[in-house]
Amino acid sequence: MHKHKNPYRSIEAEVLEVIPETPSIKTIRFSPKEEISFVTGQFVEITIPGVGEAPFTPSSRPAVKEMMEVTVMKVGKVTDKIHELKKGDIIGVRGPFGKGYPLDEFKGKEILVVGGGCGFAPLRSLMYSLFDRSDEFKKLFFRGGCRTPKELVYRDETGQWGKRKDLNIKLTVDKGDDKWKGNVGVVTTILNDVKMDYKEGIAVVCGPPIMMKFATKKLLEMGFREENLYLSMEKNMSCGIGKCGHCRIGTYYACKDGPVFKYSQIKGFSNIWD
Amino acid sequence: MKYISFDNFKRLLDVLKDEYSVYVPVKSGEKRFFKRYQDFTEDIVIAEARTVEPAKAFFSRAREVVAEGFKDDVPYAPQKPFAIVGVKACDLKGFKVQDFVFKDHDYQDPFYMKAREENLIISADCSCAIDTCFCLALGLEPHPTEDFDLNLSQIKGGFLVDVGSQRGEALIEKQGSLFEDEREGQSIQREEQRQRVAKAVEDNIKMSAVPRQDRYKGVVEKKFESKIWEDEAKTCVECGACNTICPTCHCFLLYDQKDEQRMARLRIWDSCMIKDFARVAGGANPRGNLWMRLRNRFEKKFDYFPKVADIYACTGCGRCISACPAKIDIRKVLKKLVNDA
Repeated sequence: MHKHKNPYRSIEAEVLEVIPETPSIKTIRFSPKEEISFVTGQFVEITIPGVGEAPFTPSSRPAVKEMMEVTVMKVGKVTDKIHELKKGDIIGVRGPFGKGYPLDEFKGKEILVVGGGCGFAPLRSLMYSLFDRSDEFKKLFFRGGCRTPKELVYRDETGQWGKRKDLNIKLTVDKGDDKWKGNVGVVTTILNDVKMDYKEGIAVVCGPPIMMKFATKKLLEMGFREENLYLSMEKNMSCGIGKCGHCRIGTYYACKDGPVFKYSQIKGFSNIWD
Repeated sequence: MKYISFDNFKRLLDVLKDEYSVYVPVKSGEKRFFKRYQDFTEDIVIAEARTVEPAKAFFSRAREVVAEGFKDDVPYAPQKPFAIVGVKACDLKGFKVQDFVFKDHDYQDPFYMKAREENLIISADCSCAIDTCFCLALGLEPHPTEDFDLNLSQIKGGFLVDVGSQRGEALIEKQGSLFEDEREGQSIQREEQRQRVAKAVEDNIKMSAVPRQDRYKGVVEKKFESKIWEDEAKTCVECGACNTICPTCHCFLLYDQKDEQRMARLRIWDSCMIKDFARVAGGANPRGNLWMRLRNRFEKKFDYFPKVADIYACTGCGRCISACPAKIDIRKVLKKLVNDA
């Protein structure tokens, strides 16, 4: 008989905790009933029973196997329901899908990670993965931005990261408030003081399309090579295995060939920032 | 080569009913549709030309349950496999594209795999062409040469039978009494008919000046910023018929039933012409304009598939031309792409 695995079936998972991050962003911690191993940068499809599924890149540390976290901005049908989740609720998880960040290719190099808004989510998972093997990399830089201090996710954690010796971190907001003492301006305004060898270094960008577009432009001007520039592309990933057709970028499917792409892979395709 | 008389062919269909759910083309007005075979009726037309609906529908259903709850088994539909009789060459080429997507490339789709393993395909030569047929422009002849279990060429009194697979071979062996050896002169009859149908398709191609596939290379890329797309999309009503009717289109939507008690995930044919096809939850849409979606449809068929699978995802069946309420004509678009400066 047929021993094919069913790629469309979700694994049951229990919600362990719901952590409010900002007025529109929450982190959901859950434990899948079957182990799901993932590489940082890969994504999963989260199901709300009776509502539907949507793709998210886990924001948690891949090395922690018992639980997984996704950080979700409220933007639609499924994410509205995700924001209503409580401890003990049952959800579905399918995946992981796609290719993650190729950390082995980053060995011995200086790495600049640039995040914007909800793009911090996959990058949090990436940062923990980098910290876990930090002695393999030359130096780590993190540059992050969001609109206002209220919308800054993982505030306590990024505060802790500030104390690390292996990391140079700087955050910015588009518009400050009374308490904000950091930089004010878009994220591209805090890239100039990253002191590293741009030609040999790695840059990773994740954020809203408009931020990715301008960060990419800026990083290329600074001297980063197209093939050393890694972008997380947000497309309408659904099946996760390159069959349903929704997330095609040129000759690739974001779900199976991405969602992390080198800029050199996709620069020739149309509308990549839309 | 084997021969089967018309009377024995009816017996063969009856025998197949034991093991398969048998479907045959029937004629209604000027059109042909697949219909479940019960008894041999006058409207059954094995040869003639393609059906309205594509044969892909027997391999990936328009709507099927692909997961139930969190159960890890594959919820195959509890039904006999299909024996599809009278499938034309254009539909068979469609399977080359479907196979690439669902079977041969990266991940395999269990539902499609099972259908491909179990369904029986008895194809048939076209004995006429309809005015939208242009298969020869895609290098495809109006009679099957591969990818079938058995192929039928209608001649006087019955059919000449080609064997295309081990399963086809086994069927002929098992039902040996129904088949005879080919008789003298039958091959010539077949050859004459094939030439006659090929000429009818050639005449179609000449009349509409359809360019041939050796001129398609790179045209979508070259005409990417052309006005062609906006002009052609003007009358489109975004119904998606061109996609669902196409033997090569494979895109689908995963839809979770809105019932918390009984979680069921459905797979439903989808269309890249529909506005939300590529839209993401945040609202961004890489193809917000209708003409971009029309361009994308051509890009997928004439740029993506040749690049990744070395095949044009068009079979020249003309179904999208017949189905389009806005009269958008793939032949005309190809002509513009190839010829316009």
